[in-house]
Amino acid sequence: MRIEIQDLYFTYPTGVEALRGISLTIESGEQVAIVGQNGAGKTTLVKHFNGLLQPTSGQVLIGGWDTTRHPVAKMASRVGYVFQNPDEQLFSRNVGAEVAFGPKNLGFDIERVEALVGDALALTQLSDKTETNPYDLSATGRKMVALASIISMDTDIVIFDEPTTGQDAVNVRRIASVIAELRRRGKTVITITHDIDFCAENFERVIAMSQGKILLDGTANAVLGQEETLARTYVDPPQLTRLGKRLGFRDTVRNEEEFLDALKR
Amino acid sequence: MHERLSFFVRRDSPIHRLNPMTKVVMALSLVLIAFLSPWYWTPLALFLLVIIPLTLLAKVAREYWSFIFKVILPTVAILFLMQALFLPGESKIVFKLFGLEVTELSAQLAFRNVTRIIVMISSFTVLLLSTHPSELMSDLTQRGLPGQFAYVVISSLQIIPQMQAKAQTIISAQRSRGLDTQSSFFRRVSGILPLVGPLVFGSLVEVEERAIAIEARGFTSRHPKTFLHQIPDTSTDKLIRWILAALVLITILLRLWPS
Amino acid sequence: MAIVNLQNVTYKYPLTDVSALQNISLKVEEGEFVAVIGPNGAGKSTLCYAIAGFVPHFFKGELTGTVEVAGNESINSTLSEWVLNVGLAFQNPFNQISGAKYTVFEELAFGLENIGIPRAEMKRRVEDAMKLTGISDLADRSPYSLSGGQQQRVALTSILVMQPKVLVLDEPTSQMDPIGTREVFGVIRSMAERGMTVILVEHKVEWIAQFADRVIALKDGGILLDGAPSEVLTSPLLPAHGFATSRYTSVARKAREMGVWNGENLPVTLDEAVEGFSQRVKGIKS
Repeated sequence: MRIEIQDLYFTYPTGVEALRGISLTIESGEQVAIVGQNGAGKTTLVKHFNGLLQPTSGQVLIGGWDTTRHPVAKMASRVGYVFQNPDEQLFSRNVGAEVAFGPKNLGFDIERVEALVGDALALTQLSDKTETNPYDLSATGRKMVALASIISMDTDIVIFDEPTTGQDAVNVRRIASVIAELRRRGKTVITITHDIDFCAENFERVIAMSQGKILLDGTANAVLGQEETLARTYVDPPQLTRLGKRLGFRDTVRNEEEFLDALKR
Repeated sequence: MHERLSFFVRRDSPIHRLNPMTKVVMALSLVLIAFLSPWYWTPLALFLLVIIPLTLLAKVAREYWSFIFKVILPTVAILFLMQALFLPGESKIVFKLFGLEVTELSAQLAFRNVTRIIVMISSFTVLLLSTHPSELMSDLTQRGLPGQFAYVVISSLQIIPQMQAKAQTIISAQRSRGLDTQSSFFRRVSGILPLVGPLVFGSLVEVEERAIAIEARGFTSRHPKTFLHQIPDTSTDKLIRWILAALVLITILLRLWPS
Repeated sequence: MAIVNLQNVTYKYPLTDVSALQNISLKVEEGEFVAVIGPNGAGKSTLCYAIAGFVPHFFKGELTGTVEVAGNESINSTLSEWVLNVGLAFQNPFNQISGAKYTVFEELAFGLENIGIPRAEMKRRVEDAMKLTGISDLADRSPYSLSGGQQQRVALTSILVMQPKVLVLDEPTSQMDPIGTREVFGVIRSMAERGMTVILVEHKVEWIAQFADRVIALKDGGILLDGAPSEVLTSPLLPAHGFATSRYTSVARKAREMGVWNGENLPVTLDEAVEGFSQRVKGIKS
């Protein structure tokens, strides 16, 4: 399911021009991270993918569907959006009901809903918490419930808005493995993140935005090596990339494997 | 999105410069006089001779009339009709509406009650238009209003607009999960819980954190409080308050005087 | 003299079965900068609340052992007195804004009004604190119009005006973007350099490595490690127990196993990593 954005402009009702001519294509199954300073337009862009925002001019096509022609509830069958704050989503009396909410809204039959819920809970390691009230869980647990609630919708495209904020190392790893599994299943995963190390280690393609425009768009290695350009949108390179640069490596490294390979040479 | 909920309009006027307590006394006096005066035309007279000049003096006439037309007029029109149609009274019938009768007496009573209400709402509107809520609460607290009460009022004014933003985010999040906000099915009660639930539960978490934060800044300290801003209370203010008190007293006496 | 002294502190929240803190004993000297790390649920926030007096006064529950700050025990004091000893700031800057004031200057004075500081001194303290934390230009703004980083700096400043003896910070940068993180760490660092005793709970190991005098690793309500950053942050116990480690440390650890790390100790900061690896990489200046 391809995402096609053609010359997208968006201005908020307050008059702020948040997107100034965005054109990009994301193919089915790609893993894309969007980085850049607050106010660059990352969330504004991503809200166009499921129709929450409609273009002021330009076009957004999701798998051929024009987002101006389908209500958000319908776009939800193709695009799942995990919001940053789980507390702005959770309301059910138990985790099972919460995770079933999405697929039920999409009109799946009862067997499919149960299967999807079971799968999502297994993926997020919540299978034993089906009867627990989401608000009885810790902040970490609630984050995973929010994730499971979107995964259970089995959409081709999944968007994560700042998935690792406030999470400890263990949970960041869990989230990374969820994303890896989604990749394995052929889903398109798009994330907005400030955690540049997390971005480097889990995403193949990086788009850097600044002031409503795309500054850089390419492979993670290509983008993350461009320190000066990234600095314009207040993005620091990942730790290992910086280390590699200081040691004079020829290629940009973005994770341990690449670093150790480059070191041996 | 409004950053704050408030009527207050910043102007440079003699009314704005008055001490908040003076304006509170003014509002209360107008209400008491309007309701207690035995003379039928008092409320209308107050409206024409006091309220309207006050709005001009305070340079808030435009905001005042905007509020009157948008909010008050429809309300009082309905109130008038309700009273005129349903108040009992044996007297000449003025006209019939939908089989109900409007008598001379009921029309008079309705008019009096409605003008009283207009005076009441208007006087508090002028108060709120010309007084910054923070200054109002601070002055009242310095005169003995419990600090917690003032806190609840002011923090509500600032935090409710923030909750509106939160509510918008919740709606977006649930729509993104397929919640259909456009069909008629949405009106069922079950459609409300996904929107209200997170707002309530999320707010409970926030309230606890905020309680800790203000506690960490001595909110529950038994110390007598001090105040950053000194709000001037001039002799003019005091004189006005005494005059108003006297006028209220005279009104009460006039009412009690058997005549 | 230890300004913070916890002895055998065990604490259980009401209606729970497991103690959030289990027999914790630790001392913090005046002027020390102590970082506390640990997985979620380790008891880091509870430890902060215990030092700041909210455990047990605000949360109730069962507390055994003693929590002493500057020679006074927290159970012998009321919470409103104790907050003058220990300042507490936490993750969410929005929830730390009182909502009672319309400008940053007034917001900063809020705490001082509550404790009855005379007007002239109130103004002086607020102006001094704003200069210290670099927010003087925000004085007339509404707290709700600020960015996350600005709001968090206002929250920190509003605690500093109370002139506490100890500053306890519970993950103050968790919700910040990179700019906000830098701003907040800048303020914390300048506080520490002025001699303030700082207890900082953080996940961002590479920042702790640069500033902290001491690191305490907390797990399941107990202290796993307590020592210098170079020792604690390079300990193999950290990855084994699910703690965050600096990527410099973990890549150097792997390099050492492969025989390509020539440094003596594992690095925690970028500079240490560069030094250690540059001995391996020929012809590179470190």
